[in-house]
Amino acid sequence: MRIAFEEMKADRLLTARTEHGNVAPVLLARGDEPGELRTDVPYQMANILLRVVPYLGSDKIAVVARRCDEKAIAEMSKRGLLDSGKISLIGLACDAEQVSECRCSDPCPSKVHIGECVKASPTDKVVEDLLAKSISERLEFWTAQFRKCNKCFGCTSNCPVCFCDECLLEEKTFTPEKGIPPGFAFHLIRSIHLADKCVECGECERACPADIPLLALRKMVNRDVKELFGFVSGDGETTSPLLTTLDGDSMEGDNDVC
Amino acid sequence: MTEFKPDILAFCCNWCSYAGADLAGVNRLQMPTNVNVVRVMCSASVKPEYVIKALSQGIDGVLVLGCHIGDCHYMTGNHRTAKRIPLTAKVLEKVGIDSRRVKLDWVSAAEGDKFQQVITEFVEEIKGLGPNPLREVRF
Repeated sequence: MRIAFEEMKADRLLTARTEHGNVAPVLLARGDEPGELRTDVPYQMANILLRVVPYLGSDKIAVVARRCDEKAIAEMSKRGLLDSGKISLIGLACDAEQVSECRCSDPCPSKVHIGECVKASPTDKVVEDLLAKSISERLEFWTAQFRKCNKCFGCTSNCPVCFCDECLLEEKTFTPEKGIPPGFAFHLIRSIHLADKCVECGECERACPADIPLLALRKMVNRDVKELFGFVSGDGETTSPLLTTLDGDSMEGDNDVC
Repeated sequence: MTEFKPDILAFCCNWCSYAGADLAGVNRLQMPTNVNVVRVMCSASVKPEYVIKALSQGIDGVLVLGCHIGDCHYMTGNHRTAKRIPLTAKVLEKVGIDSRRVKLDWVSAAEGDKFQQVITEFVEEIKGLGPNPLREVRF
């Protein structure tokens, strides 16, 4: 970890360490006592990075990032929320257990510093099973799932790519102020909003207290986006958000990030 | 048993399709009466959320009509619509709502007869599909 600090010439390091017997994110400056550093971060570092960056000024920051963090950071810089020149990534490869938990198809960061890459299967059994069902069975399944939602907004607040200032789902036009469940449309609206930026980190599914298979839904939508537009979110190559801009347009002068 | 009469919502853009609908009316073209037209300033202002909300509350079909590609009053509005609405239909298909319930078409201000044709065909198609299953589902 220290090596990455010196190698990358960063002023700050965002990582995680043991605090009170649990894992917690920590922002270290050069020469700080590192403590007991951990790599098994149970949430998205990209999410924490976005909250830390406004207070850093011109400091350069190094982040311990998995492949999904890396993709999320790419999506954030596309929308002008981060300056990718000031951020260096310390690639963390997920182990086999973590990969199978997320049913991840792309676990290997572009540059690995910690750990070793694990081979991942390109197909997801949960998604395949759902797509094999008939359309009425699928409706029955998802209705039952969406009924469990208790509108905790855990999926929204833990999502690394949910960064709109004003959330549409907090408007009473789309989400009733009183009563749960919030209706059939709630999770579909979220899917549409994330369609061109979801990085399949699985944070929504892990945060969900009702165990709604949100990751499967996200993967299905991402597959559609790939089929329709040949677009994969989080690749460093495309420079513009897919659904809000035209091909090759930048976000300049366009404040509607959603 | 009475015949199934679908409830259909049509978003028409102010500059082309709404004028097209007007023309169809002026020409007294006959068409099904179960379509509710919502005038919007551009087909790109039809957020996917509106389509999803309408369907989740029991509307049988949603029609989005805009200017032809290249004719948009706001230059590139309908390019965005052309990306969003097919994606919305696909997402709805994934959770068990037939993607044929959402339709995107282009009708210009001079195409009163095309407006009639699009409406008639869509109503027939929705009649074939039957009522929206979500009409029965209460949350």
